[in-house]
Amino acid sequence: MEVNPLAVILVYFDSKGDRLLYRYPYQTLGQTLKLEEPHEEQPNKKRNPFAVASTDDLLQTPTHQHPTQAQGQGQGQLQGFADDVLSALFAVKPQLCNQKFELKLNDVRFVSHPTLISVVPAVTSNSASNQTTTSGSNAASSSVAVTVAKKQQMLINIVFALHAQASYSIVKCYHELSKRLGLALKFEEQRSGYLTEQTAYMARTHDEQQQQPLERTFELIAERCSLAKALKSICNDLCTTGLLSTTLNSNLTLTFCLPAKAHQLHKKGSMVDPETIDRCLRALKPYHGMLLLVDFAELLDCVPPTGARMLWQLVDAYNPLISLQSMASNADLSIEHVYKLVSHLVYWAKATIIYPLCETNVYVIAPDAPLHTKSHLVEKFSTRFAGMSLFEVISDFSLPTSIGHLTTPLQQPARQGILAQMVLWMLQHHLLMQLHTYVQFMPSDDDEFGDSASCNQTHMPGSCDNLTEEERDDDPLHGGSILSMSSQPLPMPVNANRRPMVEDHDSLASDNIAVQPSSSHKSNFSMTASLSTDNCDSLDSMEDEQKLKELLQVFNDADRAAIRRIPASLNVDDLSLLVKLYQMGYFKSEHHLEEIMYFENLRRSQLLQLLDKFRDVLIIYETEDPAIASMYNNK
Amino acid sequence: MHSHANEGATGHGHGHGHGHGHSHTGHGGSTEGKIRCIFLSEFHATAGCKISCQVPDNYISKEVFDAINVYIIPKQHLQRCILTVNAMDVKIVGYPVGIQDQQKYARNAFLFNLCFVCDSRARSVQYEPVVKKLSEYLIMMEEESCFLSREDDKVRLQNIFQTVLRDLNERKVATIVEGDNTIYLKIVMHKPDPPSVKDHMVPLLLANLRDTPLENWDLTTQQILPYINGINHVARIAAEADVETDLVKSCIQNLVYYGVVQLLPILKYSNVYMTQNLKHLIQSAALSNACRKYVALQPDKLLPSVQRIFQFYASMTHGVTLRAICQRLCPQHHNIDERKMVIFGLQHKFIRCIHKYPVFTGSVPSGRQKMYTGLISFDEICCKTGLSPCTIEKDIEKDTNVTVIWK
Repeated sequence: MEVNPLAVILVYFDSKGDRLLYRYPYQTLGQTLKLEEPHEEQPNKKRNPFAVASTDDLLQTPTHQHPTQAQGQGQGQLQGFADDVLSALFAVKPQLCNQKFELKLNDVRFVSHPTLISVVPAVTSNSASNQTTTSGSNAASSSVAVTVAKKQQMLINIVFALHAQASYSIVKCYHELSKRLGLALKFEEQRSGYLTEQTAYMARTHDEQQQQPLERTFELIAERCSLAKALKSICNDLCTTGLLSTTLNSNLTLTFCLPAKAHQLHKKGSMVDPETIDRCLRALKPYHGMLLLVDFAELLDCVPPTGARMLWQLVDAYNPLISLQSMASNADLSIEHVYKLVSHLVYWAKATIIYPLCETNVYVIAPDAPLHTKSHLVEKFSTRFAGMSLFEVISDFSLPTSIGHLTTPLQQPARQGILAQMVLWMLQHHLLMQLHTYVQFMPSDDDEFGDSASCNQTHMPGSCDNLTEEERDDDPLHGGSILSMSSQPLPMPVNANRRPMVEDHDSLASDNIAVQPSSSHKSNFSMTASLSTDNCDSLDSMEDEQKLKELLQVFNDADRAAIRRIPASLNVDDLSLLVKLYQMGYFKSEHHLEEIMYFENLRRSQLLQLLDKFRDVLIIYETEDPAIASMYNNK
Repeated sequence: MHSHANEGATGHGHGHGHGHGHSHTGHGGSTEGKIRCIFLSEFHATAGCKISCQVPDNYISKEVFDAINVYIIPKQHLQRCILTVNAMDVKIVGYPVGIQDQQKYARNAFLFNLCFVCDSRARSVQYEPVVKKLSEYLIMMEEESCFLSREDDKVRLQNIFQTVLRDLNERKVATIVEGDNTIYLKIVMHKPDPPSVKDHMVPLLLANLRDTPLENWDLTTQQILPYINGINHVARIAAEADVETDLVKSCIQNLVYYGVVQLLPILKYSNVYMTQNLKHLIQSAALSNACRKYVALQPDKLLPSVQRIFQFYASMTHGVTLRAICQRLCPQHHNIDERKMVIFGLQHKFIRCIHKYPVFTGSVPSGRQKMYTGLISFDEICCKTGLSPCTIEKDIEKDTNVTVIWK
């Protein structure tokens, strides 16, 4: 896999010259390439039969396609480069310091952030602080000309060797890591002269062990020097988990995550780059929820000890059934802080973003769910939920289904809790995805075909699961009957089924419902309030007439005509709500119902009724939330 | 440092000279970038490392060059390696060369490097073979006639660079005649192998390639091309064109590689589709107009409205078959060809097909049950066994050990 580093190299350069102090793994780079991935699964696949086999092609083919070929090739080509050549290459000129440096040699890409550090002279602390200020500037030469003569500068370059195919974002991550290591070392140097001590130690070991084989020397260095030990563990961690937490000089803790690697732990073969995560996190809204992917114990290694308190505060309030907003208020944190913490956890592959679990959420099997008889998830599932078969459970989600639909009030309350747990488990393993309902304002403009009732059917949300069964049977014979069926005030029967259960017990899912504005107990009160359309009172005042006219001004002529044909447009309340939502831009396929409900403080039933009344000008459909989907659907 | 350093982001999309609509998206934030500059650097006997010829002039400033010249004229170990250095906001692809000759050269050797410069964010792998090839030409010309080391000759080199820079950026191909030599250069983009083609897949020809004369294709392609219509699946094409199936598969895979053909799931009225990113259809007027034209049953009549089309797509969801949608919405009354509608949706990824996977949950599978692993879709099983979907369906329904998963 091109995510793993081939090697980490430490190069040191001062007035006495350059030196490669430490390198891990110890074999020459050519050999590392071979050893690095012993479990090479992919057979040497034959290229497109019409393509000419050329070594030049290999570098261009992005990633996992031909790892074996690329590695075989790399072996021969990099073996010639001795440590002194590498050291000369990475002892860069001062102009190149403190910025990204990338060098590609044949099929190895070297990335680093050369850092210039002023050496702490053993004399006074006074001069040390003086140098601290100047070393920040790029080429620390001009301003403090007086001190320059005495000032010792050294260059430290922690270089990561990667496969040439490593993508831009991976390279960027490694650069960031090198930069942070450089900064940490700079800090430790200025605090206690750590770097001077460590580099001197390493150099001395090299000098002493000159007749020994190089590998032995490096081993010895790793035993003696804590810096070398740290670099070694960093390299190993990057190869195994992509998450690292290293303490330098038993003082400074450096935590780092390589998302491209870390996210593979939860979903094999997925390549999540930081840009995708950022895109997902930018779409974070207060109504979103968080689902942890790991145990509480595993959370702490992703934050430096100083940040742990706030994380615990959030984790204490953690509940996948409530929104980030509620979590923030329960944890007594501001929503911005919660966003930051959640973003951090998501970046570190410790959590994922969901819509808080509730009865009305509609789930369906994710298109790329790794569901097959040989999957390890099958066993994992039956261990977690004794006696349950993953396939049996998940096949219920072949059709979009909500927890509410899968449980009936007649079952024991515990059943719903277990089901919620199973859904959470399946979400954690990315086996399910949630479907949301979106609305698009789109009046029909073609009357020339004659809108017969049978050809004018809007698909209804919520009720669709009930419908599908009947649809199959009824459709061919009487298409018209469906219209009458779906035009009933719709979520009522469904809600009526569910309500007793919600009130009965405090199961996990019902907690959420109380918080959510969605299908709450109050829904039947609201019905009577806004259902006034039907009793068309003939005493429509002039005022109302005027108001309706004003409201309709926001639409263009064609749209206005289409809306006027709908009876509900004569009701001021209904029309003003429609106009309000329209003007807010909610009917452009960009916002799902839950979002509209959240931001406009509407109940699900209220919204569904409105959408039903104006169904002739609205198109309603189900699809996944693109913000959440983008993280894991990178096909 | 350079005002133009960040233009890389705008360079995206220039790599599609072939116009097959195959978008080669930048890999994780990097972009396909143009060549910004070509220069020749040499090691001068007295002046040391210097740029002796550069197009456009002074793109690489002296400060930048001084900082990185060790990577342009490196030590002997690194000669004849493709060496790319990315620092100070420029990315320089070079192929350092040393020609040893004690008679000709003051220092017994002539060291030079021909470099292409890109934006620091741009992908540059595709230029590596070109840099190497052009260097080899220059080595040859140098050995024959001291083309590079003669002081006065930089004007001709300048002209070569100008042509190469312009032609490669515009057409990805450059041919230069210089004295007795003709230099041929071409940028070849490599994409990963397309996935292997299976019997049940349906190839769809993209764009206006039908207009290309048949003789331009290879023999197998000529034979199968008439049967590629977005409806026939691979096995059927093989049968109708009387070509061996494996040959058809590799031929189609080849066409997929070049972005001429796209593979779709087989179209059945019992299929279930699901929308994704449907909003793009309305947000782009060009796309919705293209869609209206494409899906029209009779193109000479009034084109179907966007609203109808959108409604049709919007009604696609899990559990609703194409048949049910057609019965409900009567697309043909609205001058819509539902098959074209599905093809257009799949092609532009507004919809995806929800496949059906039988999974055997018993202990020991026997016979056909061995295929029910969850990895082989229903269509594929039908194709492999040669049985009708109906038979398989009944077979699965009877078997209590088989669960069906739609995804």
